[in-house]
Amino acid sequence: MVEGSLMLLCLIPALHFGDGTGSAIAVSGLFTVVVGMLLFVRFHRAVTLANKRMAYLLVVLIWAALSLFGTLPFLTTGTARSFADAFFESMSGITSTGATIFSAVEWLPSSILLWRSMTQWFGGYGIVLLVLAIVPSLGINKHSLYTAEASGADNTGKQTSTMGATLRQTLGVYIFLTAAFVTAYWKSGLHVWDAVNLTFTNISSGGFSIYNNSLERLTHFQQYITAFAMLLSGINFTMLYNLLVFRWDRMKNKLDQVSAYLALYLAAALLVMLGLRFAMGYSWGDAVRCGVVQTISVLTTTGSLAADTSTWWVPITFLFVMLSIVGGMAGSTTGGLKVMRMLILGRNVRKILRDQLHPHAVNPVRLNGTPVSAQIITNVMVIFMTFVMVIFFGTLALVLCGIDATEAIGATIACLTGYGPGLGLSGGFGCYASFTPAAKGVCTLLMLLGRLECLTILILFTRSFWRR
Amino acid sequence: MGRFNYRLVAHIVGMMLIYLAGAMALPLSVSLLCHDGAQFALTFSALFTLMIGLLLRNFGGRGAAFEFHESEAAWITMAVWIAIPLCGTLPYLLTGAASSFTDAAFESFSGFTTTGSSVMELPEELPEGLLVYRAFTQWIGGLGLILFVVAILRKLGIGAGILYESEFSGTQQRKLHPRLARSVQRMWGTYIWLTAVLLTLLILTGMRPADALCTAFSTVSTGGFVTHSSGLSQLSNGSLMVVTAFMLLSGINLSVLFRLFTLRWRKIGPCEELVWYLGLFAAAAAVCCAAFLKSGNRLADSVLYSLFHIASTMSTCGFYLPQLPHWPLPVSAITFVLIIIGASAGSTGGGIKLRRIIILLRYTRNYFTRMVHPQAVVRVKVDNRIVPEVYVNKVFAFVFLYIAGIAIGAFALTLCGCTIPDAVCMASANISNLGPSPLLNNLGGALDYALLPEVAKWLLTLLMLAGRIELFALISIFSPAYWRQTT
Repeated sequence: MVEGSLMLLCLIPALHFGDGTGSAIAVSGLFTVVVGMLLFVRFHRAVTLANKRMAYLLVVLIWAALSLFGTLPFLTTGTARSFADAFFESMSGITSTGATIFSAVEWLPSSILLWRSMTQWFGGYGIVLLVLAIVPSLGINKHSLYTAEASGADNTGKQTSTMGATLRQTLGVYIFLTAAFVTAYWKSGLHVWDAVNLTFTNISSGGFSIYNNSLERLTHFQQYITAFAMLLSGINFTMLYNLLVFRWDRMKNKLDQVSAYLALYLAAALLVMLGLRFAMGYSWGDAVRCGVVQTISVLTTTGSLAADTSTWWVPITFLFVMLSIVGGMAGSTTGGLKVMRMLILGRNVRKILRDQLHPHAVNPVRLNGTPVSAQIITNVMVIFMTFVMVIFFGTLALVLCGIDATEAIGATIACLTGYGPGLGLSGGFGCYASFTPAAKGVCTLLMLLGRLECLTILILFTRSFWRR
Repeated sequence: MGRFNYRLVAHIVGMMLIYLAGAMALPLSVSLLCHDGAQFALTFSALFTLMIGLLLRNFGGRGAAFEFHESEAAWITMAVWIAIPLCGTLPYLLTGAASSFTDAAFESFSGFTTTGSSVMELPEELPEGLLVYRAFTQWIGGLGLILFVVAILRKLGIGAGILYESEFSGTQQRKLHPRLARSVQRMWGTYIWLTAVLLTLLILTGMRPADALCTAFSTVSTGGFVTHSSGLSQLSNGSLMVVTAFMLLSGINLSVLFRLFTLRWRKIGPCEELVWYLGLFAAAAAVCCAAFLKSGNRLADSVLYSLFHIASTMSTCGFYLPQLPHWPLPVSAITFVLIIIGASAGSTGGGIKLRRIIILLRYTRNYFTRMVHPQAVVRVKVDNRIVPEVYVNKVFAFVFLYIAGIAIGAFALTLCGCTIPDAVCMASANISNLGPSPLLNNLGGALDYALLPEVAKWLLTLLMLAGRIELFALISIFSPAYWRQTT
């Protein structure tokens, strides 16, 4: 199944390049298809997903392979100066991060622009698939996440069919949203080409842009459309499906997360607006627009920019850094730790306080009214810790590569959470071109780590993984 | 559930204030000996503190019942930790050393929480008596004020255990003696003994007695107040080595030290935390030493400085040597990790504590095993004893709160105009009770703190307090459940 999806992912871009601009891209497309076919023929019988080890290894390999082959268009067209650059850009696309090494994207050939947007669009759905496949090990209760039914009774013994249905539903939602937003952009007066690219990068919470100054060139109305697209991209896809098919009764099992997500967004947007208005002297109109668009861009770790944020007031940028760590809802295309995990962490603290008060009472951590098992809580904790440690060591590595401290913190968190623009030179409308190759390598690794939720990769470096 | 036991809180706070007034006699006597002009201020502070203490104990706390509920333990802890440092501001205000109440409170809280952040730009110009008082506040706070309460209030009975828990929430220490009071006595004994030995050694290596007294108090309590604006650079190499050794000792669990010094080595048993502590110390010092050598220092200097610096950071003492204005990158990086990790559990140092880090790492390792083998039964063990899941959860929650505290503190500091790295360093140095952080522009000397706006100083004060009482007691008084319980 996973090999199949790999094939699918390889075929469609390749078909697309047939009508692209350069023969160079056609060659790389063909090459990718051939290698994909060979791999498929060679291994498709050997893979059994029953083996957990194999699953982890496969996931990492698939993401790494996709990014590797994704470099081909950049290399064959000569748009990227070195392999490090191409790999960085490709990884940034596949992981829907949106960090770029191109200082002026408007000079790039249009086929390359579309390729960048496409990688994000695939990468965005890829993560929804991924979480579905390995989610139980990542501290999220799969049932509360993906199964459409509110109670567990409906799907006992129907695990596979539920999974298939969920896949169809989420893919349907994704395609529907894409089509809807392309139309919306088009109706609002954008060229179809721009509309497609914008939709691809924002619905996937990626953030690559085809303009040098990201969203600033769009009309205010189009910016609000983008904000809405990003807002939806941060919501659990099964939930969106139920919303779209009017099965509101089935949405109850995610109410906690979605209300926390929206509340967090509103509170943060309000803070940013006030900051922009009073500390930076924006007019109310600009403050509201930038607050609304930029905050959701950060919270969903998209990275589209309504203005050059690198010149913004320091506390706002710091708030952005923290919001990007939180991220959107689990089961969406966003990066970061996810609202659900933060909820569990916060409620667990409350539980501990209550335990101290009433040592003999049973105080479970509840999510949507159902108790969360102790196992899941500690799993979430482990993920949180790993995340923090990776941020820490990532910053350390970047500092050792000669990047200054602010920039290193910004770049690490931006790459790990999949937000994209960091602080300083790499922030705002800037790019990562000034980084040394080693620093770019670190950032590339961070993007992969962040997208695969750290543990999936780190487990490959443990002894117990390789021990027979 | 009966009514909230206000009288007990008043009684305990009153008792503590009376003892504080007694403690002020030491700096007062130094002051009288040196004729430094602070005699009047110190006498008045002591009398005033004594008066408030007596009033509270005899009127507020009359007929207090010596039994209380868990929720009241948090309140007692908080009340003691706020009332004592607040009264402790008097000497700073009366001598005119602090220009505002904010500064005085910052200095006082920094002392009692053994942080050692200072806003006094030129400590050498302060009266000797005040310097001794400043250092002495650290010494009093070194073992935790609650431990002091437990030591002086025999009547508390079972409540003592609850209080003890509320301050040291979950380091899960084995007690030194089946009776809490006895083990607390032993800890205080070890502490006093350490201080006395250090004082003697410092005087022997040629320090002035008054400076030696201040330095000894600062070192053993892992506080970090200095008596001179140039940090410890006045010290002879001999004194530096002595201070280094005692900083290292202060970062070790006092129970282990007690058994070590009383030659009950068998009773120490397996002590993984100590092994980790020493191993981490050696490794960090080695890397530091290499980095110093590479940046052009002499071998002897590099060894001494790196040992001194790592001991100072790991024990969260926070002494610094201005001889080294430029820190090589690896050293800064290591310093930051060590600040957050902090010292051993049960020591006078701050930080997350090594024991929690060990549990965290072991649980994560087990987690990886379970990812591959979902059915495997794996447990976290420290010192050959299984750590229960509930406790692991608490450790994780603690670290989560700690990191959240640093993040929120740093955010608030950026609002006050700090850059992001400075804000993060300042927040972590103060929540870990390190104080002067070599990662800051002026090595975390008074210049870094004195120039902050008032709000930022109060914020740092709150962080110091939060770090010192290990977060839970502070957070619980903001939690609605506790309010419901107590009203």
